[in-house]
Parts: sequence; structure tokens; C-alpha cells
Amino acid sequence: MGSMISISIPPGSLGAKAAAWSLLLLWLMLLPGQGLAESKQVKGLPPPAVLNPAADLWRDIRQRDMATTGTTQVRGVDSGVLINANGDKWRKFRMDQLIPIGGYLLLGMGLFLILFYLIRGKVRIAGGASDRKLPRYTSYERLIHWFIASIFIFLALTGLIILFGRPLLIPIFGKELFSVIASASKEGHNLMGPLFLVALILVFIKFVRRNIYQKGDMSWLLRGGGIIGKKHVPSNFFNMGEKSMFWMLIIVGSVIVASGLVLIFPIFGQGREWMELAHVGHAIGAILMITVIMGHIYIGTIGMEGAIEGMSTGYCDLNWAKEHHDYWASQMEKRGEAISNEAVNRFSDPDTNRSLGRELREAGE
Amino acid sequence: MIGQFIDGPLWTFSLAVFVIGVVWRIVTILMAGNRPDLSTPRGSASSGAIRTIFSRSVYERTAATRGRLLQIAGYLFHIGLFALLFFAKPHVDFYAERITGFGWATMPHWAFILSAELAFLGLLLLWIHRLLSPVTRLLSDLDDHLGSILVFLVMLTGCLALAQSFEALRLIHLLLAELLLIYFPFSKLMHTFTFVMSRGYTGATMGRKGVNA
Repeated sequence: MGSMISISIPPGSLGAKAAAWSLLLLWLMLLPGQGLAESKQVKGLPPPAVLNPAADLWRDIRQRDMATTGTTQVRGVDSGVLINANGDKWRKFRMDQLIPIGGYLLLGMGLFLILFYLIRGKVRIAGGASDRKLPRYTSYERLIHWFIASIFIFLALTGLIILFGRPLLIPIFGKELFSVIASASKEGHNLMGPLFLVALILVFIKFVRRNIYQKGDMSWLLRGGGIIGKKHVPSNFFNMGEKSMFWMLIIVGSVIVASGLVLIFPIFGQGREWMELAHVGHAIGAILMITVIMGHIYIGTIGMEGAIEGMSTGYCDLNWAKEHHDYWASQMEKRGEAISNEAVNRFSDPDTNRSLGRELREAGE
Repeated sequence: MIGQFIDGPLWTFSLAVFVIGVVWRIVTILMAGNRPDLSTPRGSASSGAIRTIFSRSVYERTAATRGRLLQIAGYLFHIGLFALLFFAKPHVDFYAERITGFGWATMPHWAFILSAELAFLGLLLLWIHRLLSPVTRLLSDLDDHLGSILVFLVMLTGCLALAQSFEALRLIHLLLAELLLIYFPFSKLMHTFTFVMSRGYTGATMGRKGVNA
């Protein structure tokens, strides 16, 4: 039992017009579906081109043809850009190239050093340790070396966690713990980063004079620095390898610092693209520097006998100096700067010994 | 469970050890008294004490040039740490909630970060120098290194927890701060409170003798 309601619409009235428009709209909406059905029926024929009025809009938003910036009341850098097309390129580069290639490079360097050690072994002082030493680094020089070293190691570790953490650490620690580690690494990296700039400036001011290339450097390089083979290769206070590492530290380090500042201080109007560029420069520079520093640490510790002594005690063995820095060692010996091991043990401090030596020489003793 | 322990009983215990320990150390120093000096004073003990309390904070020109960096590092560390401890917003909020019941003006975020940078810079330079220099290495004992390590770790974990997004990081920072509070009264870190007394005592003794030291 129900009631039927009949509505009569007088022709030409407003209701009749609305009904007619509604029917037309419904027919238009059904057109694509009808076309599709027809295309399925007529096999072999190309489907009719159906224009989607939204396609152009989305093409513009995705910036497929050209960069487009819209207008908005939201104030801020890039606020008029809905989708940053370069962001996708950057993401793909980071995930598909930077992380795998960077990882292989670091891994490769590690394997190379292991192999090198197994084949070459520790480079010994050919004549054995002598009974005399030369003052090599002052307290201040050692202080800033270890300062930059400690900052660098911290930044390298936290940076590697940020870059490689997702593929490497999530499988080990799980997502929850990794998020804690990643957050800690990011905060620590950002906070300690500016200290690297301070350390870099201190190192540059102190060591730049002795790292200017000079006569004898190229011959050192051509003879492989003496590490390949057993021949004696003389050099200055710093050899070509050390000088090149210094300039790499300064130049690549400056790129790392500058790009790092762009990343952690997004307050100078830099947009997303600058940030992406800074990130790429920062990561490539850092991976390069970590790779080189791995070699530096290898030589300084297990790779060469007596190499770390200069930076740990301030003195180096005279025979070691003659073997690796002959030009400098000869000059120092001529100036009477060589000190007996006993005197070194007595005073321990290179600065004290240096001033004491100067006083004794001036007194004619 | 462990978080509740760190946040609750351990915090109360460490604060109690710190307060009682510091008061006890200061009282015992003050109670020790002085031997009566029967000699005729050649100068004012009080002015000597006041002069020395401040003059020891000023760079001594006759000291070696290399001491200048360490003096600067010392200032950077102490000023940075002081600003962090008493004017960093998370710390002031913590004190207001747990100790005082009221807060006070805090530093803007950029000043907070700058203070942390300066404190780290100073501490690292001082600590590395302590390890490298043969003189300071000989003068330093386990207490010096333990104090430096604890302060460094508290600062480091604090900076790692800067995002304030993870409870675990906050708890690690708090745990280390509590260990530092417990260790504090029994260590050379007590110089935070006793430096005025020791300088004043030396200054007064020298002032009475008429020596400008």
C-alpha cells in the first residue's frame, strides 16, 4: 500500500528547463563510458581521443612542461609551488645513486685498506727507532688537530647514520629504535656542524704556510710517496700527499660547511632547489672526505710506524723524519733541534724543550 | 618502568645527594676555621680577598701566550654552560615543574643553540688540552677526567634530545644529569661553589702580608 505522487511540469516553465539541462548533463557525463563501451565493441580501431579538462591543470601543477609558480596569500619561499618537480629528481638521485654509490665507495676504501695492509704490512722505520727525536708539532697544533679530528669523527658517524641509516640500520634495530637514533643523529649533527667551521678556520690559519706546494713535492708524488716499493723518497715538512689532503680538507671542507649552513639555516630565502643542491654537495663532499680521511687514519695508526707519534707527543723519531721528511729533518738537525730521548722524557713538552733549546743555544752551550 | 624510576625516585635521590652533599662540603670547609695569625698585618686582608676573587678571572699578561686560548676556552665553556643551565627554555620549564614552581625569562632558541656551541667548543678544547699537555696530564687525576666526561655526556645527550620528540632521549639525558648530581659533591666539580672561598682565602692571606698576588 503506498501512495503515488505525480508531478506535472508545465512546458516552458523554470522546472522544465532545469529538468532538460539535468538530462543533458547526465548524457554528457555518460558519453565517455559510452565511448569506452563502443571501443571495446569495435576491436582494432584506435580509441577516440577524449579530452580531460583536468589534464592541463595537473600537467601545470606537476610542472611537466615548464616551471610554474602560482600566486598565494601564504607567505614563504616556494609557497606558490604546489609540487616541486625537481624534488622527485633529487629523491631518485639520493635513493638510486647517492646512497648505493656512496656506500660502495666507502666500503671499497675499507676493503682496499685491509687488502693493502695484508699485502704491504706496516711500513717500518728502515733503520729502526733512533735515540734522538725532533720536535714536530707544538701543543697548539696538536690541540687543533685533535679538535677537528674529534668533531669530524662525530659528524661523520652521525652523517652516515642519517644517509645510510634507513637501508642499513632499520633491518638491525627496527623502525622504532632507528627513529630515535636518527633524530639524535640529526640534532647532534646540526649542533656540532658549525664547530667544524671554527676548527677548519683554526687549522687553515695554523697550517697553511707549510702546505704551500714547493720544490720536491712532485718528485715525491711521482715516486708514490715511498709507500709503494722500498726506495727512500725525501720530502719537506709535509709531503705532497699531506699537502693535497690539507687542501682537500680546506676546499671540500668549505663546500661541506657552506652547504651545511644552507641546510640548517633555511632563513636566508633559499628555496627547495637550493636545499636539494646543498644536500647533494654536502653528501658528495662528505663521502669524499670520509674516504680520504680513512686513508689518513690508516697511515697515522696501523699503516706506518712512528707516524702518529708527532701528533700524540709532539715529537717524532729522527730516523722516521729522515725517512719520510728528509729535507725538513736535515734542516732541523743542522739547527741542532734534535733532542735525546732522555731529554724528551724529562721535559715531555715540545714547547718547553724548544724554548729551552733556544736558550741553551743563545747561551752558547 | 625504568623511565618512571629515572623520572621519579632517582631524580629525588640525586637532587637530595647534591643539595646535602654541597651544603655539607661547604659547611665543613667553613667550620675548619683558620689558624690565628699573630703577625702584624701589613695590608688589608679583606681588600686582598676581594681583589683576588676578581683578578683571578682576568687574563694574566705574564702567563705564556699559549695560555690565552685556554683562558678563552674556559670562558666559552663556563658562560655557555651557565646560560644553558639557567636560561634554556627546556631547563627553566623543568625547574619550574620540579623544583621552584615558577619559571623565569628564557633565551631565544638561537641563543640557546649558540650557548651550546660555545660550551662544546670550550669544553672540547680544554679537555683535549688536558689530555695532550704533559703538564696538565700529570696534574690531572681520574676525578678530573670523570668530571669532564660526565659533563660532556650530559651536554651531548642534551643536544641529541633537542628535538624533544623522543622520551628515550630525554630520559638518557636526565639519567646522566642525575649521575652528575650524585657525583658532583664528591668531586672537583665542587669548585663551582668553592672557587670564591679558595680565592678569597688566598687573597686575604696575601693581602694581610701586603703581597699583591
